[in-house]
Amino acid sequence: MRYFLVFVFLLPVITARPQFNPNTICRVENGRTYFRIDLRWNDKQKKELTHLFDLDSVVLQAVFSGKKEIAVKNNQWEIVKLNDHMVELSKVIKSLSVKSLAANDVFMVDDRWISAEGEAERESVDFGVNRFTNVHVFQYRNGVARFFIPGHKEAKRVFLSGSFNSWSTERTPMQACDSGWVVSLKLKPGKYSYKYILDGTWTLDPYNKLSEWDNHTTNNSIVYCYNYMFRLRGHPSAHQVILAGSFNNWDQKELKMIHIGDSWLISVYLREGTHTYKFIVDKEWVTDPGNKQKTPDGNGGFNSVIGLGDSILFSLKGFHDAMNVILTGSFNGWNTGELLMDKSKDGWQRYYILGPGNYEYKFIVDGKWMIDPANPNTTGSGETQNSFLALKSNYVFRLDKFPDAKVVTVAGSFNGWNPDNFILVKKDGSWTFPIYLKPGKYTYKFRVDGKWVLDPGNDIWEENEYGTGNSVLWIEP
Amino acid sequence: MHYLVRTITIIFCLLFSSGGLFASKDAGGTGFIINNTITITGAKGEYTGPMGELESVVIPLKRVGRLFMIEAKIDNITGNFLFDTGSAELVLNSTYFRKYMTTTGGEGGGITGSTGTIQNVQVKNIDVAGLSYRNLSADVTNLSHIENRRGVRVLGLFSLSMLKGMEIVIDINHNELRLYRLDKTGNRISAQKNEFRADITEKVELYHNILFVKVKIGGKLLDFCLDTGAESNVLSSYAPKKVLSTVTILRRSDLMGVGSGEAEVIFGKLNDFVLGERPIPNMETIIASLDALSATYGYTVDGMLGYDFFIKGEICINLVKNELKVSFAKT
Repeated sequence: MRYFLVFVFLLPVITARPQFNPNTICRVENGRTYFRIDLRWNDKQKKELTHLFDLDSVVLQAVFSGKKEIAVKNNQWEIVKLNDHMVELSKVIKSLSVKSLAANDVFMVDDRWISAEGEAERESVDFGVNRFTNVHVFQYRNGVARFFIPGHKEAKRVFLSGSFNSWSTERTPMQACDSGWVVSLKLKPGKYSYKYILDGTWTLDPYNKLSEWDNHTTNNSIVYCYNYMFRLRGHPSAHQVILAGSFNNWDQKELKMIHIGDSWLISVYLREGTHTYKFIVDKEWVTDPGNKQKTPDGNGGFNSVIGLGDSILFSLKGFHDAMNVILTGSFNGWNTGELLMDKSKDGWQRYYILGPGNYEYKFIVDGKWMIDPANPNTTGSGETQNSFLALKSNYVFRLDKFPDAKVVTVAGSFNGWNPDNFILVKKDGSWTFPIYLKPGKYTYKFRVDGKWVLDPGNDIWEENEYGTGNSVLWIEP
Repeated sequence: MHYLVRTITIIFCLLFSSGGLFASKDAGGTGFIINNTITITGAKGEYTGPMGELESVVIPLKRVGRLFMIEAKIDNITGNFLFDTGSAELVLNSTYFRKYMTTTGGEGGGITGSTGTIQNVQVKNIDVAGLSYRNLSADVTNLSHIENRRGVRVLGLFSLSMLKGMEIVIDINHNELRLYRLDKTGNRISAQKNEFRADITEKVELYHNILFVKVKIGGKLLDFCLDTGAESNVLSSYAPKKVLSTVTILRRSDLMGVGSGEAEVIFGKLNDFVLGERPIPNMETIIASLDALSATYGYTVDGMLGYDFFIKGEICINLVKNELKVSFAKT
């Protein structure tokens, strides 16, 4: 009975707690937006209110301090008291149609609410193996991939479309052959998503068990173009040999090797970089007897090591009397103690494996920082000047005019429009700057002795927000 | 004055329909399919000449977020065109078709032209998935905002005016656009067996090459246009109180634009939306002023049906009978 009474006394207290239901806060009427606000809301609820409805803190302060109106950023807000603790805040809706907003702003905001972002590229993976149910439908040799779809002889137009051709529906037609449709194309090692288009209809590869959700309504087939084959000679009587490594989190079941001739084999796609691995021969872990590169495994044993990618030779001529020379750059987080260079016949050198990309670096000679005197490409100036290396560069900015200019730089969406950073080098009357750019769209301009210049060698440009233009560059996959 | 109104419309459309509703200069005029024939390239690429017997074509759509692209070749330039039923006619992106314009702006240090410039030009050839068009009129303007928003090359906007006299089935769940030729009475030509299985059939009005349909929200009849280029539905902020009271407002945001530009975006859920006696639940919408659009058309536009509507199933539009049919996807 006593508990019941306590409950009865507490009931009004419980029911009087301010409700915060986001769905009932805001409404639109006759071109005005209205917000019903409970003055008892706590800081957390006020914060949520700001988050959902983008209400200015000055406006909220006015509401909670009992004002009847407030003007903020050209908006006249009215505040009407409904009862002791409820107020209604309102203002005229700003018309979108007559304002000169940057056109893409609306959906940029909207994107967070409606999940309209494009397909996420998930092509950057550590490794991959194919899972075709018919060995004839995909082959990859010497950098050429051959796709084959059996049957469909009644089809009139068949295309292959995928991440390798920007999902073009026209660029890669397949040829009819006796038993189906076939096409060959050059591809680099890697992971690709694709589909066939049979008389206009998108079709998953029926012989491929690998597919991924496209984030919207459908799956795409997935294929890997291999770049490495693991081989373990001997062990003819073994029942099972598994490959496990850092690339697949040392999974002990996933990568079964096949016994062919005198060896156990498996082909895979491996990302460029350094990987460690072992073979599991009937549950016994063994290093690769065919690979001398080993590294301690942390358990008193060793793992085999492979490095895929380009090994770059950094060299510095001279400085024979220096005590030590260190290589440091964006590739190792500007670590000043990691990459000690070795003495060579000409001076100093160091090999380092790097994937495609743009890198900045410097040498530290007995504590003194210096750019690479043998590399004409630099970024920045003065103390912030670094040597610049575009590994597997896929584009060269070139300006054939202005041979008498003193300084020419290129700025664009690829470097945050930094006007001074990427400095072109003059050679034979032309200014050039090599760069590695991922596939996609880039806008840019040259800066010639401080003056912005559209690329005269590129007809493609678009208007910018300053009423002038930016040159446009598309890098294809 | 006409230019001013048109500019306002364009600003609106840049905001809402990814390039949007361009007032047509020849609204209600003849179609773009010259000689009333469609040419098609035949099996395995060889040219088979004009084919009056063409019955249907399936055009694969490429999805970019909530937008849909059609690959086409204009003269010698190949690329993506945004499928945009909110655009009154073919529109070309000035970035790639500047040479078609008679005034192209400066070169070298800057440009004299300003954003929003539009010029009507003639295009000799357009090829789309086997369909060929000759000598079309097109508007050239800056569409870089769509490119930069979605990171995809956009050569232009592909409008319904390109598909006059046809029945079109928009099936974005399968990323395809199916086109059927019609006879004079608006029926698929005889050999075409597969009639569209419709859950609802509604009359539509074609105005400036834009489709309008009557919908019911909160029991009130409203005029909505169908816009495949709109990434979201849009409802007028001046709709009757009874209509707006059915919308649950979920989000709102102020946008600060370049210079003094400022606007407000309101986002909510339509709770009582009916098309042809069929309730369509859980569609999301932006709420915005559509006054300028209505003024341009002399037609009260209460809202736009965009992605949220098209994803509901297969949408069939008969451009001879002026009918909209919907076959709802099974949920």
